[in-house]
Amino acid sequence: PFTGAKEDDVTNVLELMNMVVPEELEDDEEYQDIWEDIAEECGKFGQVVDMKIPRPKKGQDVPGCGSIFVRYQSKDDANAALRALAGRRFADRTVVASFIDEEKYTNDYV
Amino acid sequence: ARAERKRKRKSRWGDQEENEPSGLPTTLPRVDDDKKNEYILKIRIEEINRKLRNNDVVPPERLRSPSPEPVYDSHGKRVNTREVRYRKKLEDERHKLVEQATKTLPNFVPPADYRRPTKLQD
Repeated sequence: PFTGAKEDDVTNVLELMNMVVPEELEDDEEYQDIWEDIAEECGKFGQVVDMKIPRPKKGQDVPGCGSIFVRYQSKDDANAALRALAGRRFADRTVVASFIDEEKYTNDYV
Repeated sequence: ARAERKRKRKSRWGDQEENEPSGLPTTLPRVDDDKKNEYILKIRIEEINRKLRNNDVVPPERLRSPSPEPVYDSHGKRVNTREVRYRKKLEDERHKLVEQATKTLPNFVPPADYRRPTKLQD
């Protein structure tokens, strides 16, 4: 029963979900490939400041592992990216997107 | 050096035309992580159900990995075709997700065509 992201949800940081599974992030080269694919596409919608793609660690519960976080220069850029990327396919999976607080991005994920 | 490294394959992104509108929302409001995870679990199971039901199991060519050597059964019929391999991959993923959902989501009902494997291969 979600109704989607609303105007007052908008921040400058996107969380992109259902794109990768943790196992795909284990291999260094595959991780690099995934990173480049995402950075390249996300850069089309605005100025990307930085990104985080948390990698799995043996025996540890890594916060945000399986999600991709992209910080944009402005809320407008992030909003444009969300509208363009949500529903697109990535590795044959449907991209689900939301906004998160910049503080959470900075503090909670590596 | 990074730019010179040859990528293993083409971009994982699909074109707009490849989108598969399911009627389910693909943007979420700012809810807590548990709610997000719950939704992603459900949407992925639903996505796999749809693929299996529509026999749409083989990904676009640019996403495929090299085919393994063919394996034949005693009647000379190939058993590891692309369809068979990708269907099994999706069924295995769905199995894992259904197990997880059964444990963590109250009121979760497994998909109608889902059968718990009697033995897990590989």
